[in-house]
Amino acid sequence: MLTTISLSLLVQALINGLLLGLVYTLISLGLSLTLGIMGVVNVAHSTLIMLGSYLALELLQRLGLDPIISAVVAVPVFFLIGVLLERLLISRVARTSQTTGLLVLFGVLVVIEGAAILRWTTDTQVLTVSYTNASLTLDGIAIAVPRLIAAVIALALVVLLDTFLRSTLYGKAIRAMAQNRDAARISGIDTDRLSLLVFGLATATAGIGGVVLAMIFPFDPQDHYRWLAWAFLVVVIGGLGSIRNTLLAGLLIGLIETVSSILFPFQYVYFIVYLLLVVALLVRGQGLAGSQSRAL
Amino acid sequence: MSSALLERVATGARWRSWLYRGLGAAAAVGLLALLGVLIPLDWVTTLSSVFMYIMLAEGWNILGGYAGYLNFGMVTFFGVGAYTAGVLCTQYNVHPLLTIPLAGSVATVVALLVGVPALRLRGVYFAILTLIISFLTQVLVTNLGITGGASGIYMPALPFDAFTNEQIFYYAFLFLMVLTVLLAFLIEHARFGYALVAIREDEDPAEILGVRTTWLKTQALLLGACIAGIAGAIYAFHTSYIEPQGTFSLDISIDVVLMSLVGGLGTWQGPVIGVPLMLVTAQVLRILAGELPFLGTALPPEFDRVVFGVILILVALLAPSGVMGLVRRVRGRRLTV
Repeated sequence: MLTTISLSLLVQALINGLLLGLVYTLISLGLSLTLGIMGVVNVAHSTLIMLGSYLALELLQRLGLDPIISAVVAVPVFFLIGVLLERLLISRVARTSQTTGLLVLFGVLVVIEGAAILRWTTDTQVLTVSYTNASLTLDGIAIAVPRLIAAVIALALVVLLDTFLRSTLYGKAIRAMAQNRDAARISGIDTDRLSLLVFGLATATAGIGGVVLAMIFPFDPQDHYRWLAWAFLVVVIGGLGSIRNTLLAGLLIGLIETVSSILFPFQYVYFIVYLLLVVALLVRGQGLAGSQSRAL
Repeated sequence: MSSALLERVATGARWRSWLYRGLGAAAAVGLLALLGVLIPLDWVTTLSSVFMYIMLAEGWNILGGYAGYLNFGMVTFFGVGAYTAGVLCTQYNVHPLLTIPLAGSVATVVALLVGVPALRLRGVYFAILTLIISFLTQVLVTNLGITGGASGIYMPALPFDAFTNEQIFYYAFLFLMVLTVLLAFLIEHARFGYALVAIREDEDPAEILGVRTTWLKTQALLLGACIAGIAGAIYAFHTSYIEPQGTFSLDISIDVVLMSLVGGLGTWQGPVIGVPLMLVTAQVLRILAGELPFLGTALPPEFDRVVFGVILILVALLAPSGVMGLVRRVRGRRLTV
């Protein structure tokens, strides 16, 4: 039986879940883009997210920049990192076996994580700004302001990216490349340059994702695997079909996380997530990379 | 000359080459066994660790090397093995020797939980899933009551003096390493190994030609996990203290991948070459870190992770078949001339 108190608790959990879900969509976009368009499984994706969090930390500590501004700064910085990674490493392994690509990206993960530990040690960090503990209260339902801001930034990016892929000529070319790289090339699309763009964009979303996550959660150089798990789950459930499906999957994961964290101690949330991942992998099977769903 | 004679000569030559190889291997193992009583204590410890990593790398290589399915979470099975031994021994008073096969079994069951969802899929999702599961297992072990949480488990000490103790582990790891290398050698020359290589080279045709890909991949994973579990159990008794951060450290997964890669993926010799090579490199880096000032400050010891990452990238890009690839190229040239 639902009392009014538990009802408002539930509504609060649902709102929180949707807000988190938007953030989860944002951190999954990069993985989905590189996988769907370039066929690259970026195992280093979550280390880029972690770097984004530290960018926000450094900018806050050194220049006093608000994380909202850091999210804007992250775009060119991480786009550049992505372009460099693509040019230096990914483009070299694109034509070799997938094993080589995975090994190289695993190496990138090791280097970034190691460098982050050297620079920032393994201590847990928190971003504290004026509104960190602020919340909006409405009818007994409290919404944390950082979560709201994070969700708005995430939503803005999801809409921007979706519009870019749907309505611009570049977006059309990228979608063509996702369907058939060789055919796109024959039609005169410069797939090498587009790969740079896609990887840059994917890295930029990871960077902003990191900034945004840092507003909500504490972070350290080694707990980013959690975000890899979440992002992978969103990609598996949402498929590589479209950004809108990714958004739906992200919102679903956000809701599941907040609802299950009311019902169980927090560490069990991980196992619910793993269970979901297993079920999703078993159900989707080949569908994940199937030709039908590749039409991003 | 009759073909029967030719055949007999050829078989004789083959027999002789096998005999020499066998004798060489036996001599090497005999030498290592002898070293166990001759060399000083810290060397015994170092070599034990070499043997342990060869076990892990050979176990990893079955699926990762031959079949090309990269497991970035090998430490999961190692850690599960260590913790199985720890929990059974300290909480249920199971005899230490009995916990070792049990550790292998539990690690195999965990591998089943990873393998069944991931290995039905083609390609690379397996790699991501292994990273995720190794993180999840670490969280679980840190938060469970039975594992002692973050404070870990103190293992019971063996009733011997320090040197005898080290020697016991030396011979245990040596024995198991020889078994694992032998297993890898046999797999490489058996239908199982050929089928795994077929999966690596092109999975679809392999399946069309009748290779039961999913089952074989799962078998390869389980075998590797069992070996890692056993290694983990012995490691737990050897270090006498296990805790989630160190026992489930990603460093172990990285080391195993890198050692196999440097030695040569998909060859039984690869880990045997790669493990000592990388352990020596790590040692040199540690010494360098102490002596080389970098930008005015001494390098912290953790910088070897970054160097290992760079080595991983460079080897994967420039020499993806490792030392064995170079050896085979030189040998191949000699044969074709």
